[in-house]
Formats: sequence, C-alpha cells, structure tokens
Amino acid sequence: MIHFDADSLGEKVLRRFAGGTSRRGILARLGTALVAAPLFPVLPVSRANAAPAKPDRGPEAKTGFARGAQVTDNTKCDYWRYCAIDGALCTCCGGGVHTCPPGAEPSPVSWVGTCVNPEDGKSYLIAYRDCCGKSYCNKCNCDNADRETQIYVPQLNNDIIWCFGTQSMEYHCSTAVLVGAA
Amino acid sequence: MTFAAIKGRFFASATLTLALGGAMAPAMAAPVASVEPEQSDVAQLTPPKASWFFINRGFTENSSAIYDTTTGKLLGHVETPQLTDLALDPAGKFYYVSSTLWTKASRGTRQDYVSVFDSVDLKLQTDIPIPGRLLVGGRLNNFVVSPDGKFGYVYNMSPASSVNVVDLAARKFVKSVELPGCASLVSVPGVGISALCSDGSLATLSLAGAKSAITRSEPFFSATDDPIFDNFQVDRTKNQIVMLSYTGKIYTATLGAKPVISAPFSLQEAAGVPAGSSAPNLVNWYPGGVQQMALHVPTGQLYVLMHMGEFWSHKAGASEVWQLDLATRKVVKRMAVPGEPRMIAVTQEATPHLVFAGEDETVYVYDLATGKQAWKLDQAGNGVITVAQSQ
Repeated sequence: MIHFDADSLGEKVLRRFAGGTSRRGILARLGTALVAAPLFPVLPVSRANAAPAKPDRGPEAKTGFARGAQVTDNTKCDYWRYCAIDGALCTCCGGGVHTCPPGAEPSPVSWVGTCVNPEDGKSYLIAYRDCCGKSYCNKCNCDNADRETQIYVPQLNNDIIWCFGTQSMEYHCSTAVLVGAA
Repeated sequence: MTFAAIKGRFFASATLTLALGGAMAPAMAAPVASVEPEQSDVAQLTPPKASWFFINRGFTENSSAIYDTTTGKLLGHVETPQLTDLALDPAGKFYYVSSTLWTKASRGTRQDYVSVFDSVDLKLQTDIPIPGRLLVGGRLNNFVVSPDGKFGYVYNMSPASSVNVVDLAARKFVKSVELPGCASLVSVPGVGISALCSDGSLATLSLAGAKSAITRSEPFFSATDDPIFDNFQVDRTKNQIVMLSYTGKIYTATLGAKPVISAPFSLQEAAGVPAGSSAPNLVNWYPGGVQQMALHVPTGQLYVLMHMGEFWSHKAGASEVWQLDLATRKVVKRMAVPGEPRMIAVTQEATPHLVFAGEDETVYVYDLATGKQAWKLDQAGNGVITVAQSQ
C-alpha cells in the first residue's frame, strides 16, 4: 500500500517558509496566530504519522487527475498544480498562480498537495495558500482531492479556510505555490 | 419645491387618476373584488417535525431553507450565514447556529457566537459569545448538542485544536478544552465528547469532573491512507456512531468512557462487488460527496452516496444510493439517482424520505416506501442537510 508521508511533507513546507521570511518581522505583524502555526509538525497530527515507506510517485501510481492534467492554462481546474485545490482560482480573480489579487493578503500557512508535472513526470510539493481579507471571488471554482484527507489531519484538508495569521480570515481565493520537488 | 406645490401636484394627479378611472369603468365592470383593507402579518411555524429537513443554501447564501417532505413546501428559513453550523434543540424549542462574523463585513473585529432562535417564530433569543471556531464548510460534527439539550460543543482550530463548551440552558460559554490532533465531535452522555484523531484513534474527552482528561482508543484506521469521513452518523438508541472510510469500510463504535470499536467490513463486498482499495488505477464503486451517508436510526438502514471511480475520488457526486442493512451487513437495495448528489439525509419518520442534493442546488426527495421521487425542488440549496432527531 502506498503510504503518504504527511510529516515530511508538512516539514518541507514549513522549512521553506521559515527560510524565506524574517522571523522578527512576521512575529511583530502577525502575533500569536502565526506563532502557533509552526507547531504543526510537533503536534500529534504529524508525529502520529511518521512513515517508514517512501511514497510511490511513479507513473503507475498516477491518479486520475494526474493522467488528465495540463500545463498551459492555469485558469482551468485541470492545471497540474491544482491536484488538491478547493475554492476559487486566484488566476481568475486578478491574481496569479502564486499571486494574490490586489488588496488581498496571502495566508502564511496552508494546506499542501503533491502533484505530478506532466512535462517531466515528477512530483512537486504545492502549498495552496489562500488569499484573504476580501469577500469570496466565486470564479473558476474547483474541488480536486488528490491525497486530500479530513479535518483531523488539517494540513491535508482543503475544505478549511486557510486564513490563519492574516489580518482578516475572510476567504477570497486560492493560489498554488510551487514549493519544490516532493 | 415647496410643500404647497407638492400638495397641489398631488391633487392634480389624483383628479386626473379619478377622471381616467371613471372613463375606463365600463370596460372593467362586474365582479367586485374584496376591498377590505389588509394588515401585514407574520407566519409562524410549529416546532420541527420528523418530516422536515433543513438545507443550507450554499456558500454564497445566508440561510438554511426548511422544507416539509410530506408536501414539498418551503416553510421558511433559519438564518445561517456563510460557514455557520446549524444544530437543533433535541426538545424542538430552539435552533442553534454557530457563527462567525466581522464587524465590517469582510474586515473589522471578528466575532464568534452561538445564536439561539425560537423554533416557532424564528426570532433571535440571544447570541452566546464564544472564543472562536474553525471556519470550514460541509461538516455535521463541528457543532453538536448533547442529547439532553443542555450543552453545545463547538470545534475550534486556531490552528491548535480545542472544543468550546457552551451551557445552552444558562446560555453562556463555559470553557475551552484542548483536543490536540482530533476533530469531528460526538456528544457522549455522562462523559463528555469523542472525536476522530490523526493517529487513527477515537479520543474521548472527559468533561464530567473538575479536570478534563483525554483518553485514546487503540489506532484502528489510517488517517492518510484510508481516512474515515468526518461526517459519521450517530445512533442515540444504540449509543453508537457509524463511520465510513474512503475505500468503503464501515466501522461502528459504541460510545462511552472507553468506546468499543467494531472490526470493519466492506460496503462493496456487502453488495457483492469487490472491496474498495486505495491502490491507484483501480476503477470500482466508491463512497463520495460531502455529506456521504445518512442513517435511518429506527430501522438501522444506512444510505450511502456511491459512484464509479478511483481512489481519491472521495468528493465526487453519486450515480447510485446504496441501502445497507447494518444488522445483516448486506446492501439490500441500489437506487440510481439523478443530479450527481454530494449531500444526502434521511428523515427519521416511520415512512422515511430520502433527501439528496448536487451542485446545481436541485434537491430531490424520494419516498422510500415506494422508491419513487416525491419532489424535485429547484433552487433549494447544495449545503449540509439537517433533519430532526439526527443527533
């Protein structure tokens, strides 16, 4: 059976995040909500899942989504990075695949997915960062669910409003930020 | 324009109207309609009936519509703004709505509270402030009420997990209790609550004493390889929950200080087809949707939304509803259904109605005695469906 390694996946996302941000500045701006966010890897959520096996991401393990994914149009639900996205695409709302529309604020934490790029057949880690603080864009709504779980594994659930650590938790749209090779 | 001028215009206009009216009178002769002046009034409801269902109208609407499956009529709306959770008072006197709103629409100060509505006039009784709640849609078990109606439990994630305990009789917030790594709540009478956890266990949070304590069952499922859907069903007569996994495994747990969890069985095998698998590239029947199943408690019949697909298609709409008899572990009926439903509920009547909805907001009501469609309700909604006596 393929075992999905939620622990290392969550760790990768948070390490990338930690490496690219000023800790002091973020703390000053976002306060306690963000302080709590990096706790994810040490919560039982992740520890309980320490995985012995490496996930199988070979072609034979491709999901239905991965087999039909395309790389040219990021305003469509079948764009390869959207394998586990749920919500309005920011690419249809005045933003981009990793860009929030004007006036919205990207959430510093997110749920994550592992998607296969059809161009090289390799798997990549995608952070689905919500753009927050503006009302629901309600355009190009998608609901893909590769390796998506329930809310007791929150970092792999795409129904949650991922606007923790932003000034307002109002949900606007979702981006799909490439984090790195999975 | 002065008041005198306005008055002059009014009289001129009224005179003209009267003159025209007189000229047209012969053509409009005969039946004289009632000219009794009317007063505006307001309709009232009865407390909720077993034949009713409440459907959240969706992510962009702010209410849950109340329908009677006997007549197919829309009776009114409970105010349920975006991402709120509705729960019914077991005694039928109140509707409770767990809500989050900002003081300036999408900005300003965040406010979390449980609103209390009278079930007859639907007027707001009060708002009970709470410290916070998780913002997520499509969940039955993030706001639950104890069977005696005294306590409400609101799941919170900030992003640390906790439960807010609300005294519904005194109408006040009591306390917040940590619940790390777990979510999806069920009230356990005399104990507190139980919840599903990321280590594959069922946690039980004791709230009866002065100090709360968490105990966990042995892990019995994989939270990432074959997750159990958050939206498990509750059978208060047996003090049980019925759980369903992505591959179609059915588990039951008898609730208590130490819950007893059954060995699972395959829903697909219960229908005589191969068991579901988490392996890739295997097309089979799988359960799916958002509110994936509904339990008719008096008869122990479980209705599950099923579709043909592969593993990880767990949000897909259904092409069939499978009726599982929990006592014999057999699928006794498979019904083809329209509208690719992702939400399903069953009324708890002696002659139950199956209610299901797809993304297009059309709700279908089936009479389970005949297996025939009783009503097709347009623009009804596509959110969570709630029925009386289901908690």
